[in-house]
Amino acid sequence: MVPLVAFQVLSAALFAIGLYGVMARRSAVLIVMSIELMLNAVNINLIAAASHLDGMGKWANFDGQIIAIFVITVAAAEVGLGMAIILRMYRNRSTVNVDEINLMKW
Amino acid sequence: MNSFDQSALLLTILVPLAGAGLSMFLPRNRPNDAWYFAIFVSAITLLISVALFVRYDFGAGGYQFQRIYEWLDAPLNIDLHLAMDGIAATLVLLNGIVLFGAVLISQTIKHRSRDFFVLLLALGSGVFGVFVVQDLFFLFFFYELAVLPMYLLIGVWGSSTIFDPDRQRLWGIPIPFDLGSYNRPKEYGAMKLMLVLVAGSVLIWIGILAMYVAAAQEGSPTFSMVELGVLAEQGAFSPAFQNWVFPLFMIGFGVLAGLWPFHTWSPDGHVAAPTGVSMLHAGVLMKLGAFGIIRVGMVLLPEGAEAWMPVLIVLGTVNVVYGAISAMSQRDLKYIIGYSSVSHMGYVIMGIATLHPVGLAGAVLQMFSHGIMTALMFAMVGAIYERTHIRDITVLNGLMKRMGYTSFFFAIAGLASLGLPGLSGFVAEFMVFVGVFKTYLPLAVLAVFGAALTAIYILRLLARTFFGEPDPRWEGLNDASPVEKSVGAAFVLILLFVGVWPAPLTRVINVGVDSVMKLF
Amino acid sequence: MVWAWLIPVLSFAAVPLIILFGKRLPAKGSPLAILAILAGFAIFWVVFAGFLSASPDTEGCEIGVGTEALTCNFKITWFEAGIPGADTSNHDRIEVAWGMTIDPLTIAMLGLATFVALMVQIYSLGYMRDHDGNFDPRLDWYYAFHALFIASMLTLVLADNFLLLYVAWELVGLCSYLLIGFWHERPEPREAAKKAFIVTRIGDVGLLVGILLLWSQVGSFSMTETFAAIENGVLSDGVITVSALLLFLGAMGKSAQFPFHVWLPDAMEGPTPVSALIHAATMVAAGVYLVARAFPLFSASDTAMLVVATIGLITALGAATIALVATDLKRILAYSTISHLGLMMLSLGAFGYTAAVFHLLAHGFAKALLFLGAGSVMHSTDELDVRQMGGLRRVMPVTAILFSIGALSLGGIPILAGFWSKDEILVAVNKELPVIFIVLTLVTALFSALYMARAMFVVFYGRFAEQFEHVHDAPKTMSITMGLLAVFAIVFGLLALDLPGPFKGIGYFIFYHEGHGLVVVAWVMGLSTLLAIAAFIFGYLAYARRSINLDGTRGTFARVLEVAENKYYVDEIYQWTVDRVVLSLSRFIAWVDRALVNDVGINGPGDITRVLGDRLKYHVTGYVYTYALAMALGLIGLAIFWWLVSR
Repeated sequence: MVPLVAFQVLSAALFAIGLYGVMARRSAVLIVMSIELMLNAVNINLIAAASHLDGMGKWANFDGQIIAIFVITVAAAEVGLGMAIILRMYRNRSTVNVDEINLMKW
Repeated sequence: MNSFDQSALLLTILVPLAGAGLSMFLPRNRPNDAWYFAIFVSAITLLISVALFVRYDFGAGGYQFQRIYEWLDAPLNIDLHLAMDGIAATLVLLNGIVLFGAVLISQTIKHRSRDFFVLLLALGSGVFGVFVVQDLFFLFFFYELAVLPMYLLIGVWGSSTIFDPDRQRLWGIPIPFDLGSYNRPKEYGAMKLMLVLVAGSVLIWIGILAMYVAAAQEGSPTFSMVELGVLAEQGAFSPAFQNWVFPLFMIGFGVLAGLWPFHTWSPDGHVAAPTGVSMLHAGVLMKLGAFGIIRVGMVLLPEGAEAWMPVLIVLGTVNVVYGAISAMSQRDLKYIIGYSSVSHMGYVIMGIATLHPVGLAGAVLQMFSHGIMTALMFAMVGAIYERTHIRDITVLNGLMKRMGYTSFFFAIAGLASLGLPGLSGFVAEFMVFVGVFKTYLPLAVLAVFGAALTAIYILRLLARTFFGEPDPRWEGLNDASPVEKSVGAAFVLILLFVGVWPAPLTRVINVGVDSVMKLF
Repeated sequence: MVWAWLIPVLSFAAVPLIILFGKRLPAKGSPLAILAILAGFAIFWVVFAGFLSASPDTEGCEIGVGTEALTCNFKITWFEAGIPGADTSNHDRIEVAWGMTIDPLTIAMLGLATFVALMVQIYSLGYMRDHDGNFDPRLDWYYAFHALFIASMLTLVLADNFLLLYVAWELVGLCSYLLIGFWHERPEPREAAKKAFIVTRIGDVGLLVGILLLWSQVGSFSMTETFAAIENGVLSDGVITVSALLLFLGAMGKSAQFPFHVWLPDAMEGPTPVSALIHAATMVAAGVYLVARAFPLFSASDTAMLVVATIGLITALGAATIALVATDLKRILAYSTISHLGLMMLSLGAFGYTAAVFHLLAHGFAKALLFLGAGSVMHSTDELDVRQMGGLRRVMPVTAILFSIGALSLGGIPILAGFWSKDEILVAVNKELPVIFIVLTLVTALFSALYMARAMFVVFYGRFAEQFEHVHDAPKTMSITMGLLAVFAIVFGLLALDLPGPFKGIGYFIFYHEGHGLVVVAWVMGLSTLLAIAAFIFGYLAYARRSINLDGTRGTFARVLEVAENKYYVDEIYQWTVDRVVLSLSRFIAWVDRALVNDVGINGPGDITRVLGDRLKYHVTGYVYTYALAMALGLIGLAIFWWLVSR
């Protein structure tokens, strides 16, 4: 059996890559993709922990799976909304470079 | 209990609220429709409040027309618990009258009048709510409902004050800087009023949560004022607890009552507000503060009240004298009335702070009397401003000739304000004096002296504004419109009635005071 | 007797009727007011007769505490406040009554007030017209105010408790304000009205505090109970003295005693009938009435009595000297009023209860007559400066005769009313007070005769002032009313004598503790008679015949005269205080309110918040990665925090 820590390392690595992507990328599309990556990193963590608890002979615990499904749902909605915003952004400004879109400040 | 008694208190809240809701569906471009509809709604509320006052059984006393609508279960235990005692009955009546008067006077509002009446009626509903609920959560809810529309009402429909600095003189010498005067856009008044009052309600909210937590520690978490009152009587709240929670209520509610030194929002707000709003605001809204101190502070935290009353009465005295002296050198009609409100609310605060039955009854009667009187004053000033577009008393003069009715009504209100016997102000102030005299003698002398100061600024105002040779500028001026006349006449009659025969009010107030004073 | 309440109520009822319907009624509703007071006057006689036939056995009547005179009380509850049903004596509840007391003092005041008011209201029908005979455009308001005034005044004298008295007290003040400022188009009446109200109001602070002090000791506003408490020694001496002095403050304001006298001369800006009724005969006497009414209180404190006497004397003497040099006819009369009110106070301070009330009545009739006479002169000539007048008896014979009767009566010429009452005052002062008081009182009496002689001879006798050639005498409404008052100014004094019948003479009717007949102290009566006659002879020679030239004397005493002519600069001192102290303080407070309380205290936190926001807003860059970094750092921070805490 693969130990839990392996999943956690994978999850942490994916999350860090996603975080790097959000901070370093200029393209809004790539930022959204990076966010997806972070969300899925969390999902891996949740499912691994849930099944690990199950394998340890405790009572069957589906909390992790349930939350993961929630996350997937929310992520889908978020991507839909995010891509729509990015599309509108592109229509208006002809760019998806977030550095050029800094109107939402003081 | 007939069906009216069962639902009357809920109706006082729901009728104006429903009226506000329904007004939104009126056509936007017909300002008079909104006005007619608002008159209809406020007439119903007036009838309900009069019926409530008349049907209140002062022989039996206590809380009547009780009704509990369950809302949230444990652990929050929030119910819409409605009940009315003698003090609330008086103030409900006041609100019914002033709301009706304010709606009538607002005939002149043509710009977005539908929205105006929506907000005005919502405000009235909130005020009724505060007076009749017995649950701290809903009390706070209605309190905010009464306060928040003020911001829009002043910000959208208010008027700005622009003052000519050249006319600012001391001993005949022009003074270049702003000396007790004003150059205030209406947004300033609205914003200040809102921020100060919200800051006050933050304190109230902290106090309410503290009460809830303290009750929870006693094993019965509740927002119900009745249950909290029972807990208080059992000594559930330690003196130390009461001593830090009471000032939260005292200052939090005191802000709305114009307690010195948190009063400055009041003149600025009054001046900026449109006439009808000024009437409601000075007439009823400021009373919410004083009512809150009695209903929440004194009833739930009697020991804290006892400990803090010396502070409160000193502040009240400062209110009286300081407000009167400030009013003496104002030049803007509305500022004079604004400061006079500060001064008169001082009597209310003093009366409450005496913890003396007569003083407390005087405070409640003063709330009623001042509500009517100041609403009348604002109504008449509104009528004057509407026609002359001037509020500076050094520029206005001789209005008596052209605006006889307006001047007459204003003069009566002014005389009531300076405590002339035969008008309601005297009876109320006298009862406050009696209470203060028995408890804090030196302050009573100051308070009586403050009443004499009132005479100075009121007579100065009357002499400057109304008496004298009429200015040729007022040649084409119309006197009060029929609506203004009827509001003025009705309010004058109330002032006279209460002044000559206060017993119908005092006997109801007395039983309310009785139940409060049992705690001390 | 129970129907006495109708006397004020009828006039009260006339007020709204005149205001509402006056414009449409004949003579602008003035007959309503006159009818009301006429009915009041008639009821007064019924009440008087009832009172004379009443005995302590009559329902509601008893022997009054302190005065020992028959006193009848009737009352109904007005309102209550405080804990319902609680005992009033522990101060948890107050009970205020509409109540009336009828005792000899009340009867006397009722008679004076109803009669003079009736005369003045009829007189006003003639006076309140312009030269073409048209009524004043605001005649309805004039009569409404008059009716309100007399109703309040009658309530004042009927009141059986201090609170009701205070209520009426303020209302008469209001009517005085309204009537002084009746012609408010001119600035002087406007300012005078304001001054009158505010000055008396400051005195009223004392009155109200005094009433409250008595209440806090006695637990009731009722006069009877208060006096009973004093009699039973419930009140300490200190309380008695302090409350008496506080009540006296109110009396000083209303009765224009030094240093509150400044409003009365200015009040002459009002219509002259108003001056006659309110500022000579009735309202200004309310202060004297108050001290007389609360005599059980005052007489229980020697200090208070001495203060009353001293203030009275200072006022009497000071005002008399000003009256000697004043040049405005109405102001001469006003200062004379102040002086005589001072004499009444002095008399009360000297335990001369009967004398004071007697003088109040005699002075009321005579002074009302004098004012109405002055009004007649003013109405015809539009002139009030005595230096412009002279020999008016040629064109206004009736007015001249009637005015002279008033002047002689007030000047103390024997067998006229003023002589008897002034004599009684002198006797009382002589009996009770140190010798300096009687000396100065005699000086005052001399001055009082002198200025009356001056006014009378300068205006009506001597060289005729040609510009008044075409002036007419007073119309009938005016002359008849003056004539009736003149009858009283002549014969009223005879009441001082011991009379047959139930009345027996004023000393047996109005008294304190025990009644007494006419007391004659030969040297006092002789000296005062001598002084009065001498004064009038001197006045005739100096002002009518002009055989005595006063210019030299005037030159010698120029400095003294200047001080007196400037009214001892009291007005200037007040004006300075108001302008420089009160208004400056007010400006300063208003500035503090704006600059400190508002701009620093209230706006300060708001400004700080705004400045902070201005500085801090720059962290909002608008770049996604800034926010993401902040989030990540926050997350790491939270993780470390959690790790530290959970360790």
